[in-house]
Amino acid sequence: MNAPDRYERFVVPEGTKKVSYERDTKIINAASFTIEREDHTIGNIVRMQLHRDGNVLFAGYKLPHPLQYKIIVRVHTSSQSSPMQAYNLAINDLDKELDHLKAAFEAEVARVSGEY
Amino acid sequence: MEGASYQRFPKVKIRELKDDYAKFELRETDASVANALRRVMIAEVPTIAIDLVEIEVNSSVLNDEFIAHRLGLIPLTSERAMSMRFSRDCDACDGDGQCEFCSVEFHLRAKCINDQTLDVTSKDLYSSDHTVVPVDFSDTSSGFENPEDQRGITIVKLRKGQELRLRAIARKGIGKDHAKWSPAATVTFMYEPEIHINEEMMETLSLEEKTSVVESSPTKVFGINPHTQQVEVVDPEAYTYDDEVLKKVEAMGKPGLVEIYAKEDSFIFTVESTGAVKASQLVLNAIEVLKQKLDAVRLSEDTVEADDQFGELGAHMRGG
Repeated sequence: MNAPDRYERFVVPEGTKKVSYERDTKIINAASFTIEREDHTIGNIVRMQLHRDGNVLFAGYKLPHPLQYKIIVRVHTSSQSSPMQAYNLAINDLDKELDHLKAAFEAEVARVSGEY
Repeated sequence: MEGASYQRFPKVKIRELKDDYAKFELRETDASVANALRRVMIAEVPTIAIDLVEIEVNSSVLNDEFIAHRLGLIPLTSERAMSMRFSRDCDACDGDGQCEFCSVEFHLRAKCINDQTLDVTSKDLYSSDHTVVPVDFSDTSSGFENPEDQRGITIVKLRKGQELRLRAIARKGIGKDHAKWSPAATVTFMYEPEIHINEEMMETLSLEEKTSVVESSPTKVFGINPHTQQVEVVDPEAYTYDDEVLKKVEAMGKPGLVEIYAKEDSFIFTVESTGAVKASQLVLNAIEVLKQKLDAVRLSEDTVEADDQFGELGAHMRGG
């Protein structure tokens, strides 16, 4: 009866930002990104990609509550980088990885369908 | 710092490809990417499914909402879905979701006039768009000996005098909203196992002991070569990470006789489609959807600007 609407899970409400950024007030080069209407799919790949960056001292994400459709990604970097820089780099790298994967998969499909 | 990159270049090898089935290897990436792909294939690749049903006449034994639910679950060919609009952000029809850009109309009329029961199936649905029709399994080798037996997916059965007449609207959606929009029947991946047999230690075993090692695995992973009588790995992928062989070897007092590792950058995917999109296309669509999702979580310009201002202010306040 009082269940939230199903679309609540993936439609960003009007007037809300998809990604908001908040610097840590006490630690330099630490920040949290709040990503609206995303879940483990994005959270985990971004976190793992951040771990590949040597300048990232800490990266983690959490889904605070199953009925709050947002994730919080926390990043802590060395002075060589900044959370924002590391976050952008991680997304760019993942994007390029998927470009490569797509091309590789298409080539495989062409190869396999050519065989028959 | 500029120009730094931690990008990977994953490798793909397709082992088997059919319209509704794909098996492939994915290497040189990590479990997070493999799992993201799996999750996207199941819940976020769009398809088209019946979403609104107006029933004119229903004198069948099933009630209206029961039939509406069954209609929703019928897979429709959805090659068009990626380029179609969601009704909720279609500006051509002010959100009533009944225009040609975001919907497809179906009609069904069936009446049983003789003593024989009439099966109303997905073949009785008439689509306003020839590219969006109920999935047809008859051309695939689905095990129906006689093509006459194959008449689509049964919706309801009618007895003499019963009638069903309705109009249905199909819309684009994703599995996260309702499972009827999921293009995937099953998507799984496993780590590729790496199985090592210590040959020297194995030589010290009697044939009975070797047989007991081979038989300790519930799936047929190992076998004994009939000529050399050596224990060999027959099918590493049959291993289900059950640890039974390792326990057996331990119990025999021969730890290290068999060692099994999961390769952490190598995955074997199996993808089964409902028929809404081809299995190969499903994977490609999933990659595309994941790319769009990543694009959506990029920081917006004003967030960066706001931080630049407050960042300097912050540095100032910290006594910089």
